[in-house]
Amino acid sequence: MSLRVLLVEDDRELCRTLKDAMTAEGYDVFTAASLSEGFALLTGLGARAGGPPVDLVLLDLGLPDGDGEQLLAVLRQKHTVPVIVISARESDGQKVRLLDAGADDYLVKPFSIRELLARMRVGLRHRGTSVSPAVTRYSVGALNIDLGTHEVTLAGQPVHLTPTEFNLLARLVRSAGQVVTHRQLLADVWGAEFTEHTHYLRLYMAQLRGKLEDNPADPQLLMNEPGVGYRIVEPQG
Amino acid sequence: MIPLPGIDASADFWPAHLRRAWRAVHEAATSGTVAPMTDDDPLSPRRPARWPWAWAGVVWAVAWVLMLGLDRHIGLAQAAITLVLASALAAIWLPLVSSLLTTTAAVLAFDWFIVPPKHSFSVELSEDVLLVVEILVLSWVVTALLARGRVLAARARRSARHADQMRRLGDALRDAEDPLQRGEALREALVELTGQPARLLLLRDATAAPADDDAAATLGELDADELVGLWHCVRLCRPFGPGTGHEPELPALYLPLRGAEAKAYGAALLPLVPNAVVTEDVLVQAQALCDQLGQLLHRARTQRDAESANALAQAQAMRNALLAAISHDYRTPLAAILGAASSLRDQGAKLAPEQRERLAQSIMAETRQLSRLTDNTLQLVRLDAPGVKLALDWESPDELAGAAIERARRHDPERRLKVWTEPGLPLVRCDAVLFSQMLENLIDNALKYSDAPAPVELHVRRHGEHVVFAVRDSGPGVEPSWRERIFDVFQRGDWRSGSHNSAAQRGAGVGLAVCRAIARAHGGELQLRPRSQGGSSFECWLREQEAPRVEERGPAPDGGAP
Repeated sequence: MSLRVLLVEDDRELCRTLKDAMTAEGYDVFTAASLSEGFALLTGLGARAGGPPVDLVLLDLGLPDGDGEQLLAVLRQKHTVPVIVISARESDGQKVRLLDAGADDYLVKPFSIRELLARMRVGLRHRGTSVSPAVTRYSVGALNIDLGTHEVTLAGQPVHLTPTEFNLLARLVRSAGQVVTHRQLLADVWGAEFTEHTHYLRLYMAQLRGKLEDNPADPQLLMNEPGVGYRIVEPQG
Repeated sequence: MIPLPGIDASADFWPAHLRRAWRAVHEAATSGTVAPMTDDDPLSPRRPARWPWAWAGVVWAVAWVLMLGLDRHIGLAQAAITLVLASALAAIWLPLVSSLLTTTAAVLAFDWFIVPPKHSFSVELSEDVLLVVEILVLSWVVTALLARGRVLAARARRSARHADQMRRLGDALRDAEDPLQRGEALREALVELTGQPARLLLLRDATAAPADDDAAATLGELDADELVGLWHCVRLCRPFGPGTGHEPELPALYLPLRGAEAKAYGAALLPLVPNAVVTEDVLVQAQALCDQLGQLLHRARTQRDAESANALAQAQAMRNALLAAISHDYRTPLAAILGAASSLRDQGAKLAPEQRERLAQSIMAETRQLSRLTDNTLQLVRLDAPGVKLALDWESPDELAGAAIERARRHDPERRLKVWTEPGLPLVRCDAVLFSQMLENLIDNALKYSDAPAPVELHVRRHGEHVVFAVRDSGPGVEPSWRERIFDVFQRGDWRSGSHNSAAQRGAGVGLAVCRAIARAHGGELQLRPRSQGGSSFECWLREQEAPRVEERGPAPDGGAP
């Protein structure tokens, strides 16, 4: 059975193009042009054998009858279905808010189909990770990370990380390929009262880069999404 | 001068000391610089007259001693002259009426004691009758002239003092930095003029409504009635109080600070002592002082209005020019997209796969160009708006550079991009989204205007108290005449040294203009520096700020063992 995708997007042209592109990749696509239509579809599709009504949601922010945040809130009450936010550049603040509220990733318009499909693949791979951490080993290039044993090796050599550095790295690895907002990182690694202390993050990211990257100013592993958060590149294999 | 019988009236006849005395009297009467005279401003403290009767008494005593003591040695004419002289000298100190009475009494006494037959008012010789009458008239004329001169002198002195006061107030107003200081200067001038504690109401905004406490400032203690009176005075732009013709029963003068067009910018209150008489010239002077500040406030307001109207017109012109420039910039990529897309649709079957691929590539590239143009335009408009808020945070220069490089790499197939950052750079306070947009634009620009394989470098270093982000290329550089204009959104043209490339005319305006706007929104500056070995270096200077420390309770940066 093919994977079901709900696309909530009010622009008809874009909606059709995306639907065609995803259908060609074998996804079963349902489209909604408004928030209410999205709610109706979610209810109508119903639960399949205890699972979520769809496998992935693409959610546009500028909807005619309300805020994408409402749909996300309803969805998050029951399911861990991946949600990818589609936003225009001028709604930066809202984008970060949605990510903090539990959206999995975001795409800024305009984006290419290749970019979209890549993000969808990452999102689907992370399905259910918050329930049972599926990712315990991470490997890209010469870097190997084992979250279970707390071991980090670079080109076979063990890398010494402080506990905070390791926690930060582990948090990013658990969402590998996805952006993790500053707020989420600060709350998960330092605690809820540290969510405004972005300078902590800058400091520790710089230390991590210093230990793991060849050129910290030209990172290949720990990517910065200005104004949003950090992303560790997708693992290979 | 009335000729006296038997006496040559030429100046040489008069003894030198008498001429000197006359000159002194004359000067006192006209210039007011010699003899001390009392001020007659009713509201001001009187300068005490120093013993006027005593001086006059001394003069008369000396004169009578001379006339009686030397009676046998001098003639009647000399005695008469002495009398006139004494009368004139006494008139310097005495008020007009007293002076006339004293003089009349002195002439009668002269007739009684000196004119033969003595001890009688009858006169022996008919020419002596004429002498006595002439002395009387002459003394009256001299006394009256002196009194008149004294009034004129006092008036001239007062005018001079008022003019001086106006000038000093003008200086004080010019030197004052804010309206309250100006009000204080006016208040001091009014206190100096009237000797009473003046109070002021100053409008902050000329359209202010009464009872709006924020709209006006007050100087001095005011009770509720006085405040209402001042607001009333401002609203009607008319003086009130004794001597003004309006509400003469008020215990104080209310004077508006008049600007122009019957518009008051505040009002002054001058308390009066009970039963004080306000003279015309004090009133005029007080009003003139008030108007001086009123006119200054009016001028300032007119200037401000003109400036804001000017700025508005300029902003409108800018916006129109911006729209024109942007719509021009949109057409080129749109034309390319439409061309490629329609070619794919209409000729798709006839095209070779690589041709189709190239068309699709072209559509994607031009769309990215449009997207960037849109971002830049939006940002430019946003930064231009008043009160723009940046999402400032502490950012690492390494990360800003890294993010810009990562995104720019997508349009850098030849991998010409190099990045170098000085180790140990401090965190900078900036809006990460805006700042990376600026770096991306600069890199994009450098890639576009320099040819492969010449590298494009992003250098971040510390320079004094600044962190400098420099995007350097080895392209043809920019003509000196274009080095400033290149940042102007409306300028387009070929600014490349020794080159006439039509690509140079495309879209550089908005991109660099928004870069400079972003740098300036951060309190920094974006400059173009030509490189010594050719090419350009676009440098954004950002002032270093002290970043917050990582607190003790947070894990230490170089933490413990795992």
